[in-house]
Amino acid sequence: MLMQKAWSPYLAGIFIGLLQIPAFLIIETALGASSSYVTVGGVLASWIDPSILNNDYVARHVAATAKNWWQVALVGGIALGAFASMKLSGARRHAISPIWQTALGSASPSRRYALAFGAGFIMLFGARIADGCTSGHGLSGVAQLAVGSTVAVAAMFAGGIGAALLLLRRI
Amino acid sequence: MSLTLAIAVGLVMGVAFGFALEKSRVFEPGIIVGQMQLRNFIMLKVFLTAVATGAVVLAVLNGFGFVRLQPKAALYAADITGGLILGVGITLAGACPGTTLAQIGAGYRDALFTLAGGIAGAVAFSYAQPSLAKTFLGEGGGKLIFTDLIGVPYWAGALVLAAALVVVLVALEKWKPWRDEMGGDVDGDLPHDQGYPAGAILTRPAE
Repeated sequence: MLMQKAWSPYLAGIFIGLLQIPAFLIIETALGASSSYVTVGGVLASWIDPSILNNDYVARHVAATAKNWWQVALVGGIALGAFASMKLSGARRHAISPIWQTALGSASPSRRYALAFGAGFIMLFGARIADGCTSGHGLSGVAQLAVGSTVAVAAMFAGGIGAALLLLRRI
Repeated sequence: MSLTLAIAVGLVMGVAFGFALEKSRVFEPGIIVGQMQLRNFIMLKVFLTAVATGAVVLAVLNGFGFVRLQPKAALYAADITGGLILGVGITLAGACPGTTLAQIGAGYRDALFTLAGGIAGAVAFSYAQPSLAKTFLGEGGGKLIFTDLIGVPYWAGALVLAAALVVVLVALEKWKPWRDEMGGDVDGDLPHDQGYPAGAILTRPAE
């Protein structure tokens, strides 16, 4: 099973949902990903501008608390886990997914890299305005029946579908 | 809890998370963009299954009093504004903040730019946060969950949600079997009935 190229989305989804058990029991928090960007970004930015640590929001996220650094480790671990799974299945990827040539109507890697940077920027800017992403609001918030999270997830899909229909070519 | 232990737990959980994300293929740009173009429903299947599982898990853990819920505050203006912007970013990145790292692990080079952009976006937000918090984006209520609105225990509502999601997932699978949505290279890049020639793309040599 570890060497399969793909699991059923239902098996994988159950596996991911079960990760809430250690998150709630051991760390006393819910699965999430986007606040780790503030933690890492805050530390990196403080090397250039130490005064950023006087910003309460940054100070709260870079503080040496279990929750902050647990999430940084979680997000870093995702890259390791995906790498291991990929190696075990023997799958090979292009440097850029072939769908981008269709979606963007251009095969230029530099165009894709520029768009990826800009997309990453607005993705995290939006996630921090909303105070959560597809993990924190989506997986965790909806499962907890949180009203604000459900609204946020509906907005994410609305924004995502709108952008996909208006800005990208059909893949 | 010590910081070292928290980091160790995070790493182990992250490896498991990344492994499952990779096996589910939900981190593939073809599957995320395909979902947003309403062409591929793997993302919704993984997402709703994980939500249903999480709801059952939390119904038990919270129902028996082992854990407290950790819902975020309901800040409607921020949830809607931020959610819309985040959604646009997800589509153009072909990733979300967590799956960006899975893409890096799987070898997608553009995901390194998504990550760098994401960190820059988080820093830019941090600088803007003190001012933004004073605008309409800072307005909202407390931590609100649906079952409190109607006065039933959380565990009951969570189990109802999970049951409803199972019904939705069964219908979704009947309508679009997941095996038909993977594509030849398990990346959601499906053959086209018309229009753009998928073959030309599939034969592009690896860099």
